[in-house]
Amino acid sequence: MPNASDTETVRAPGARPAAAGSARAGRGGFLLPPWARWAGLALGAALVLLFPELSPNAYVLSAGVIVASYACTATAWSFMGGFTGYVSLGHAAFFGLGAYGTGILIRDLDLQPFLAWLLSGLIVLVITVPIGIAALRVRGASFVIVSISFVLILLLVFQAWEGFTGGANGLNVPRPFADLYRPDHHRIFYYLFVALLAAMLVSWWAIDRSRFGAGLKAIREDEDKAEALGVPTRDYKLAAYLVSATFTALAGGMYALWFGDLDPIFQFSILLGAYMVLMALLGGARHLFGPLVGAVVVGSALEYFKLEFGDTQLHLVATALLLGVVVLFMPDGVIPAATALLRRLGPQASSIREITAEELLARNRAASGGSADPADPLPTEGAGDSDPAGPGNQRKEG
Amino acid sequence: MGMRQRRALSWAAALSASALLLTACAGDPRGGQEDTVLIGVSLPLTGDFSEPGKGVQRGYEAWVEAVNANGGLLGRRVELLILDDQSAADRVVQDYEALIALHEVDLVFGPFSTRLVIPSARVAEEYGMLFVEPAGAANEVFEQGFENLFYAAPAVANDHYNNLADHILSLPEGERPQTVAVASMDDPFAQATAYGLRDRLAEGGLEIVVDEEYPPNTTDFSSIAAKINASDADMVIGGTQYQDAVNIIVQLQQLDYQPQLAAFSTAPTNPEFTAAIGSRTEGILAPTGYTPDATYPSNVEFVELYQEMFGTLPSEDEANAYTTGQVVAAAVEAVGCAEQGECQERLVDWLGENEVETIVGPLSWDDRGRPEGAHLIQQFVDGEVRIVLPEETREADFVFPKPEW
Amino acid sequence: MDGTLLFQSLVLGVLLGGLYAILAAGLTLYFGVMRVVMIAHSAFVILAAYLAWFFHQETGLDPLFSMVLTVPLFFGIGVLMQRLLITRLRPATLTMMSVLLTFAIALLIEGLLGLFWSGTQRRIQLSYSGANFEFFGARVAVVKLIAFGLAVVALALLFLLMKKTRFGQALRATIQHKEAAQLVGIKTDRVAGIGFGIGLATAAVGGTALSLDATIYPSLHWSWIGPLMAIIVVGGLGSIPGTAIAALVLGIGQSLLQVELGTTWAQTLFYVALFATLMLRPQGFFGGRLAQRF
Repeated sequence: MPNASDTETVRAPGARPAAAGSARAGRGGFLLPPWARWAGLALGAALVLLFPELSPNAYVLSAGVIVASYACTATAWSFMGGFTGYVSLGHAAFFGLGAYGTGILIRDLDLQPFLAWLLSGLIVLVITVPIGIAALRVRGASFVIVSISFVLILLLVFQAWEGFTGGANGLNVPRPFADLYRPDHHRIFYYLFVALLAAMLVSWWAIDRSRFGAGLKAIREDEDKAEALGVPTRDYKLAAYLVSATFTALAGGMYALWFGDLDPIFQFSILLGAYMVLMALLGGARHLFGPLVGAVVVGSALEYFKLEFGDTQLHLVATALLLGVVVLFMPDGVIPAATALLRRLGPQASSIREITAEELLARNRAASGGSADPADPLPTEGAGDSDPAGPGNQRKEG
Repeated sequence: MGMRQRRALSWAAALSASALLLTACAGDPRGGQEDTVLIGVSLPLTGDFSEPGKGVQRGYEAWVEAVNANGGLLGRRVELLILDDQSAADRVVQDYEALIALHEVDLVFGPFSTRLVIPSARVAEEYGMLFVEPAGAANEVFEQGFENLFYAAPAVANDHYNNLADHILSLPEGERPQTVAVASMDDPFAQATAYGLRDRLAEGGLEIVVDEEYPPNTTDFSSIAAKINASDADMVIGGTQYQDAVNIIVQLQQLDYQPQLAAFSTAPTNPEFTAAIGSRTEGILAPTGYTPDATYPSNVEFVELYQEMFGTLPSEDEANAYTTGQVVAAAVEAVGCAEQGECQERLVDWLGENEVETIVGPLSWDDRGRPEGAHLIQQFVDGEVRIVLPEETREADFVFPKPEW
Repeated sequence: MDGTLLFQSLVLGVLLGGLYAILAAGLTLYFGVMRVVMIAHSAFVILAAYLAWFFHQETGLDPLFSMVLTVPLFFGIGVLMQRLLITRLRPATLTMMSVLLTFAIALLIEGLLGLFWSGTQRRIQLSYSGANFEFFGARVAVVKLIAFGLAVVALALLFLLMKKTRFGQALRATIQHKEAAQLVGIKTDRVAGIGFGIGLATAAVGGTALSLDATIYPSLHWSWIGPLMAIIVVGGLGSIPGTAIAALVLGIGQSLLQVELGTTWAQTLFYVALFATLMLRPQGFFGGRLAQRF
């Protein structure tokens, strides 16, 4: 099974003793100094913030809004899919609920649009509690099936319940800024989506280094063991599910305010949910910026496929191949895959990417063979990812 | 900040930069081709609406051929730029965004299906583009307050069956069908056609004995057919798109249900319809905005050209698309411009006040873009599609009761 | 609701249930042998229906004969898919990743169908498509009966294969406990490959049965996957008899509910049954003990 992560497991034991001494130097060899990383972050942020100014026309700007909304949904998805490893193919349900909630609140209660948006997120949060309790009673395949069914049943309900949802006639959500020209409208919503994304990233970052986050990752690695070790798995999973659903709903509500026209068959679509998974996995669902990267790649690719093979089914084929390649060859996403590639090209350095119990065991065995060098902090560091002490270790070391 | 995050950061930065460039470079805006008129369309060439979408595409292509053969628009060659919207609303909007803002087309034509027309009309409206469309006939389209929208067919969906309703209600009480069964897809257009007829007949004193609605993704129609069969209604009305009509008809035949009248929207006007059902189409009625046998001068040309290009007779979707082209062309020639900007307003104003000669006859619109005509009623008579109503344009006699299918 | 309609709906429900059973049988088999949720199953069903249509178009022969080609073809594809693709996935994340992989395959099939045969909606025009006979006051369509017969024969063969042959024993052993099966000398990888092939072969049979009485188009498989997944969960993941019973029960239920509630709400039956099953009896109502853990 020659995929990136496996080769690495095989290689690590042999390579470790020789490389152990130079691990530190090696890492420094291809990673930039701290100021450069901050500069990189600043550059990335500047690029994102300046994008509306750089885009040559309103179409590129609107594509940017779509990519930003994709990034929001993919990041929201990864709160569940990334932390706990529960693949939900049905997050389109929360997206649609958030969108419809916003639209219906504005229509029926005449609320201020952004108030309706927040309230709609809150309502989805409440609705998700019983749904989450029910869905999380099962694992794996059953969970996937439940998540898909959830979208399909909402599609039926929203289509049939015409008096409340507008049914097949759709629901028109009035623009929050009625008098803006279309390009200006795109610009504002681009920044709104980016702000929402920033909020998600900060939350992700905070959870990632909390005890809660460590518990979630333990569930991902081995739920039964985690439970045996005293992680309150049910509550943790439910909490992650709620966070994920609420953020997805907020993204959906924002989309409703931007897009304006809602239709059950387009909001409650399995394909939409699948795109979220594709983007998150492609970038790396376990990485802070993975879903964002995935959204940028997939979003741009979708637009590109359309412009290139616009009038044939080839775009479906291309999407299918992309998903297949990601699943088969880089299930951890491009960020780890590319990092691994760099590592292989550069001087041998250790990985602190998240690893499975087996990989960890193999590594520990190898390390104990070669840990004559006391400066090598690797074994603990490897464990650090599912251990609250981990972040401290990492920080000290950068 | 952890190292993993930092590494991720540098990757994120690099990737977003490259993706940005990719997006920015994708598709060059056309530069300085002053001798052409570029017309943008988005059509559902794949997905649920692809069947009629392809018909609309053929109609547009035939129109371009005809216009260029006659020297183009304003002396400029006409070029068509078609994007596929995959039958999805977010795609259709992105398509029009790309057509207008990226490709900087001079004119846009409408897409297919009510569900896609509303979101795309909104884009066109906000960019101030004239939006003549071949396929958004349901009420909702005209209730959005669009000022630039015109529907290029003789009548809106609710009025499609008016001629049939008039005819049935004109029959003496004793000869009329007494009971009616209705089954409609949960779709604005399909429902509007069926319910337009249903409500007129109910007002006229006919009894509605079955009134079924099914979602678009329904795969099993046997129970609906069983219900219609059990009611033994004299007349069946199908508010249908395509595959649902074919399935319902076959299921009804399997139950040996023989109504006196059977009316289905959309599907019977589709050339695939007979290929799917075979010879058992006898007596099926459908509203149509078009007949290839119409004697309007431009229609004779259209039919000839179409047969030359595609080897078959055009059907309603093709005709509506061609009509769309004719309507826009009339406005462009009259106003004398075809570009984005203030010109579009003049085109809109002109269409609001004038009547256009088309292959479906003269068209004019009310202030919401609703055409002010009526649809024809076609029927399968001896295996051929014939216009049977209204009286003045009929090609064959209305067959009632219909023969067994 | 009068008696005739009730009986007619019951007959239609049974026929529909038979079709559901053959379409869902493969889905539950993959899950049994590989713990794989095969999203692409219904896409393969539609592919088989397209091949039947194409076969009829080209040769003029009855579409049923297309199975001579499609069944072995699908069996081969199934074995290859298992050996070349599914086994590449890491065991720890197999269930989740296989969902995505087969989702990609479904998209691929849909895209290729559209590419080769366009989005045009097709229907096989059979001389006997409307033929029917009376059965105690209800009408039975010949095509539906043929489809039902195909389902019964295929399921009976599958059942015999599982119960009476050595391979069947090995397959069941693999389903029940893979490691134990390995210990007694069963080559579980090979068995799983063949099991996967058999599952896909049922898609060929089901697709041909479907093509007799349906209008097909590339995106049709999305309409099928939801109900089929509900059926295999209710039937107990991995259990073929359970799936057959669940398919019949839900088919009849849908048919009867449609009379009272209308099509939309009758369709929700599948999902209500699915959620109810997972709440009350996650292992399914008719067998299987797998669902809880996977």
